[in-house]
Amino acid sequence: MSYPGKIDAVSGPLDRSEKPRSPYGRTGDSAQFRRVYDGPTYYGRNTVKPSPFDWKIATYIFVGGLAGAAEIIATLADLDGDPEYADTVRQGRYLALAGTIAGPPLLIAGLHTPSRWFNMLRIFRATSPMSIGSWILTAFGGFATVTAAAHAADDAGWRPRTRFFRKAARLMQIPAAIAGAGMSVYTAALLAATSTPLWAAAPRLLAARFGAAAMAAASAALSLGARRRRRYAAAERLEDFFALATLTEALIARNANTTFREKGVDDALHMPRYRAAYGGGAELLGTAAPLGLYVLNRLSGRRSERLAWAGALAAIAGSAILRLTIMYAGNESARRPESYLAMTQPGRSP
Amino acid sequence: MAIHPRARDFPQSEFLGPIPDESEITAGTRIVPGRSYGFFTDTTRCIGCKACESACKQWNALPADNMALTGDSYDNTGALSASTWRHVSFIEMIGSGDARATEMAPYQSNWLMMSDVCKHCHNAPCLEACPTGALFRTEFDTVVVQQDICNGCGYCVPACPFGVVDLSAVDGKAHKCTLCYDRLKGGLEPACAKACPTDSIQFGEIGDLQESAHRRVEELHARGVSSAYLYGAPGTPGATGDLGHLNAFFLLTQRPEVYNLPPAPTRASRRTAPSLLSGLATVAGLAAAAMVLLRGRA
Repeated sequence: MSYPGKIDAVSGPLDRSEKPRSPYGRTGDSAQFRRVYDGPTYYGRNTVKPSPFDWKIATYIFVGGLAGAAEIIATLADLDGDPEYADTVRQGRYLALAGTIAGPPLLIAGLHTPSRWFNMLRIFRATSPMSIGSWILTAFGGFATVTAAAHAADDAGWRPRTRFFRKAARLMQIPAAIAGAGMSVYTAALLAATSTPLWAAAPRLLAARFGAAAMAAASAALSLGARRRRRYAAAERLEDFFALATLTEALIARNANTTFREKGVDDALHMPRYRAAYGGGAELLGTAAPLGLYVLNRLSGRRSERLAWAGALAAIAGSAILRLTIMYAGNESARRPESYLAMTQPGRSP
Repeated sequence: MAIHPRARDFPQSEFLGPIPDESEITAGTRIVPGRSYGFFTDTTRCIGCKACESACKQWNALPADNMALTGDSYDNTGALSASTWRHVSFIEMIGSGDARATEMAPYQSNWLMMSDVCKHCHNAPCLEACPTGALFRTEFDTVVVQQDICNGCGYCVPACPFGVVDLSAVDGKAHKCTLCYDRLKGGLEPACAKACPTDSIQFGEIGDLQESAHRRVEELHARGVSSAYLYGAPGTPGATGDLGHLNAFFLLTQRPEVYNLPPAPTRASRRTAPSLLSGLATVAGLAAAAMVLLRGRA
């Protein structure tokens, strides 16, 4: 889109070519950094407002994704029917229940008028991922709770009819797992459907990444649970899947990084603190280290307990750091007019 | 603008209540529910008096904020916020960096002023993001936050492509320009437009405003201001990315970024479906892979 007439280059305090400002803020290492938008800004003031979301929402994104994916894996393990998965099915269902218990308080604490939390259930709005998510969380909470309760009743030996509670859990886990898939990705759609540069730049990749990270963290957690219960065959199969999910996440992350760079929204990720959290936490600790440890473990012939634990714990920690970094670096990207103005140049808009 | 004939019916200086359909006298338009109303802000007419900011604060009983000097020309307001619903920006086009200006272009081209406001987008991202229904579209085609429903989730804040909506730290609710919803219901022109001494802010029916705005651009082009263009009218910058037109649109003479406006903003909600579907496809694919990798002996 062009602007009719002659548009003069802006001079004065807005002229960035006269007074170059480091995109890194205080440290000023701009050698490897290429800024996509180098035009005028309004006294360096942000064009859009950062979200008021903080660690509470980021923690919920991690917890909700973990719970949703744990329900999916528990359901798949139950459908497989191998008795080796008895502990995995129970642990997965209880992990999902724990997530649905921990999630809503985090979300309600994130509201600025928490006493009105129930207004989230006042309407359904298909254009709002937060509305969609409220209903996904409600459905997941209900199904996961019934599934876990039925499982507990069956374990306690309650049998009003032949295997009544076991069948009930087996039935209810299907809608719970479907809602669990929604739980692990809707939070990415929630971030993507904003005007925050880092979140909006790659809507598809962000959701794919969150989904893969949730599956990786849940399978890592359940593989540890299987190891604790000495179900080594189950643990090793879960580790194989965990490695695949982590590899998927790493590949998506590579693509996302390229898109961030091309769209000019990665300013914030180059700040020292986010570079450490993103590169060191989300990427190295969350994907590279677990993959390396898995390969090492496979090459050594007999799988080492320690390496398995280290890899799984690193992936779970990295998965949480990924959500926190995307949250805070995203808010920072909204404070940087260069990021938003780069993203909203004609022909570049997501 | 000529004095409206109905103005003669009200010669007194004190009134017991509002004049019926007062907007007809002050803005030349009668306010009828079901029609679309908005603002046309002509920056070439703005003199930076900030009467709009004051009138808005006064009518809406908004508290003062940032009681300090910013050093950014005459703009000590800074930005739109929960308690500032009109914001006049000042852009000095003289000098370069710290160098003193030695020459000046003629006409009002060295000091740009623009009264920014909520755009009341046709497809409003804040409204589409609101999970409680607190944000709604009024019978005047404007976008308003219902304070008794908002629970302060804050999702409308990053959804807005113009950085308009803001959460108040005082009451924990989202606030923004209501296009004087209460005044429109009473047949009154919005406070900022009524207070504007140069008609830089014009209130009216969207169709009428767009027509007169296009005429104003042609007039300015004829007078040599070739850089004048509309931002937010259908088919112009600002009305991009599925947003539709903006019910509060502008006449600008520099590129949008100079006024802190995005050149091609987008409707945030159009990213919902692609994101959700791509995420679900990834999880479904991984679940299918898990069925194979987790296959046991049984």
